[in-house]
Amino acid sequence: MSGLTRDVAVAGVGYSQIARSGEFDVRNLTLAACRGALDDAGLAANDVDGIVEYQFGQGDAPLAVGTQRMLGIANLHMFNDIMGSAPSGLASAMDGAMAVASGACETVLVYRCISRQAGHTGAIRSGPPEAPGPAQFTAPYGYGGGIILAMAMRKQRRIAELGGSYEDYGQIALNARRWAAMNDRAVLRGPLTMDDYLSSRPVADPLLVLDCDYPVNGACAAVLTTRERAADLRQPTVVIDSLAYGTGTEPDWLYGADLLFGGTRYCSERLWSRASVGPDDVDVAELYDGFTHITISWLEALGLCGVGEFHDWVDDGRRIGPGGDLPLNTHGGQLAEGRMHGLAFLTEAVLQLRGQCGDRQVPGAEVAVVANAHGPQCAAMVLLAE
Amino acid sequence: MSRPRPVPDEVTAFYWEAVGRGELAVLRCESCRRFHHPPDVACPHCGATDLRAEVVSGRGVVFASTVARQAFDAAFVDEVPYVLALVELDEQPGVRILANVLDVAPVPVAVGTPVQVAFEHHGDWSLPQFRVVSP
Repeated sequence: MSGLTRDVAVAGVGYSQIARSGEFDVRNLTLAACRGALDDAGLAANDVDGIVEYQFGQGDAPLAVGTQRMLGIANLHMFNDIMGSAPSGLASAMDGAMAVASGACETVLVYRCISRQAGHTGAIRSGPPEAPGPAQFTAPYGYGGGIILAMAMRKQRRIAELGGSYEDYGQIALNARRWAAMNDRAVLRGPLTMDDYLSSRPVADPLLVLDCDYPVNGACAAVLTTRERAADLRQPTVVIDSLAYGTGTEPDWLYGADLLFGGTRYCSERLWSRASVGPDDVDVAELYDGFTHITISWLEALGLCGVGEFHDWVDDGRRIGPGGDLPLNTHGGQLAEGRMHGLAFLTEAVLQLRGQCGDRQVPGAEVAVVANAHGPQCAAMVLLAE
Repeated sequence: MSRPRPVPDEVTAFYWEAVGRGELAVLRCESCRRFHHPPDVACPHCGATDLRAEVVSGRGVVFASTVARQAFDAAFVDEVPYVLALVELDEQPGVRILANVLDVAPVPVAVGTPVQVAFEHHGDWSLPQFRVVSP
């Protein structure tokens, strides 16, 4: 018995085309990913009675009811559109899992569609001449670009407080390309050297452009249902063993009490306290890499590596690469597969636990941990192969 | 193009009024005596709502710093590279203010560097900024 009211499984996953360029209608991307997830599960659209999606609210994704309409579903028992303050795309699956667990609905379709335009926070924007609200303490100082500058400050602070080197961050970037070389969906599949990483363009010292994920157009979807129902469907069953959120104290991307870890440590403690397995049991980890700092935080917060010990633990990348003790971001993450914004960490974990990852398959993977975001909006899941 | 001008509201008016006088003021809880920033309507430490603005020393240390190499707001295109820092005030660990660090080379200011508030004037309004000082 897991910590949920009803046991929940991920029954299907789907993707649209993922691409850096070209014009795409977010409805087409969403429809492709959702139909893909339903086909994967062996379900028809009318088997779905719940839809949850996550978006920035910048036209980056159709609303849940818009997708309901495209799929020709007569009615929904549960739906939600989650905004940008929640834990990235995984938030849709968190909410969906709770809806199924509670009995609010039986089969929920969750998705994250993102356009490059909405996801490209580094662009120059013409801001308003006045800064009201929270921006009055930040915008006059040139604090723009979403969380880019806060991430740059984390990188600087981490080395000063916990030691290590900037090459540690590079290990996350190099690892992404090693795995992406074996993922047909990945947008960046070429190899990367440490020199390439260290000499990449500084965005906000010490943050480099290769510390940042790669904006793309794409959509990713999953179908969640009860464990009981999933057992009768097309794919091997992948069960959600535990899920947890974390915000941290005085939650804020910039002013939060724990700048380096945000809510990741609270989230991890809660996650393992409700799981049937522990950090030592993890076969594969799919941890958010919108910025390389985030991945290192999660590895340490989750206890996969001691706090401040990443530098030695990563063993020049061998630990987390193909054949390593802890395969990490086996799809190439958002640094290389493309910035799918969170949900693709879950779908990759599901494919690994089903043994369907081809050349990049982690042999015998039975336990996966998935985590999203950082700062005040953290979430994570433990998934088990049935 | 000029910097976005801060717009005070009911909760933050004290802050910008103090800045206008050349002072840095931070909200302090009358109940638990702890400071917090940015200003809220209740103390994030104890939840009390009896808060009072208190003028602080303006001294602190750099908690973290970065140098923006590209502009994110069109108003800052001519400013790059510019230095930002989260400054932890001497009055209480964890109370941090974002500002630019003035008159330094465009490299991140080392964590722990002592700084002092300095007021930068923009026509009829001012911004609290920080300068590096000797320990």
